[in-house]
Amino acid sequence: MNEFYILVVSLIIIIGVIYVYISRSPFDKLIGLAIMLGGAIPFIALNGYLDVALLVAVIMPLTTIFILQATGRKTDDS
Amino acid sequence: MMLEYDPGMIAIYSPTMIPIYLCGIVAIYAVIRVVMEKNTLRKLVFLSVMNFAITGLVVLTIPDIMALFAGLAYFIGSNLEANAIASTYVGGEYSK
Amino acid sequence: MTGLVLNIIIAALVSWIIFITIDIIFKLPERGGVSGADGIGHAIAADGGSLNGGFMMGNIVCSPDASAGVLLAACGVFVAGIPGGLIAAVVVYVGNRICNDPGYAGFTGAVWATFIISWFGLIGITPDVFIAGMVIAILTIQGISHRYASLLLNRLWRIRA
Repeated sequence: MNEFYILVVSLIIIIGVIYVYISRSPFDKLIGLAIMLGGAIPFIALNGYLDVALLVAVIMPLTTIFILQATGRKTDDS
Repeated sequence: MMLEYDPGMIAIYSPTMIPIYLCGIVAIYAVIRVVMEKNTLRKLVFLSVMNFAITGLVVLTIPDIMALFAGLAYFIGSNLEANAIASTYVGGEYSK
Repeated sequence: MTGLVLNIIIAALVSWIIFITIDIIFKLPERGGVSGADGIGHAIAADGGSLNGGFMMGNIVCSPDASAGVLLAACGVFVAGIPGGLIAAVVVYVGNRICNDPGYAGFTGAVWATFIISWFGLIGITPDVFIAGMVIAILTIQGISHRYASLLLNRLWRIRA
């Protein structure tokens, strides 16, 4: 069971990281970051650090909102 | 922090593992569809499928009350994130 | 093995019916509640889908709805029984308010789903099966084809309107 879990979650993280690297639009990069952190949270929870997982899950959207407020509106069309 | 529930102790081919396998396969499928999609707003719809699957995966693996709160926080937070991205992309101000 | 697969199919059908019914009763396809849901509805309509079905899919993405309520209530019942489901309902209500959405669809869906899932637990369909069933149900709406899913939702919305 651990093998399947680790395979799936690490595949999600790797796809997210590669997608952040290759995408052009800044909004697509934010979506890639969301994919990457969505893969990271089950890894944290699997080792028993559930409080850390809760804290990461709360901080993740707040950083995205601060990035969006700092960069402002849509600048390119893609 | 030590849990009394050890996730490594369940057999791989046990029939009770089928919900976990389904959640994992759906998560991988949703991620592939997100990468293949062109439009940014329609990427978010596939991303919500991944959020459902990851929440199910976290709670199914560790049946603990703290895992329920971690899953709840992850789901609400990812919804908030999708809301912020979509609102900013459309152009309306995000009033929160 | 076969019984578990049959249970998953039954759970997927039951949770599909629950969240579609409650979402349509609370008039989610009528308009996009927040501006992000409005944009997603127009993006799906530009692809050849229906505008009202697109609004409903955008509302599912942008704030916790009855679909989120059913999933989180199943998680709560799986972990802690009926009190866990009610905790999940309260958190869904708070999440609705955080996401700037004045509605009671998520709360109502979570409370209904808590009691329905605990009733199904008495006849042998356990809550972990309902988690997998809800993931499959949301996959059929949002994951396969946006065009045909929005047309199906529009046809169901015509009955309500």
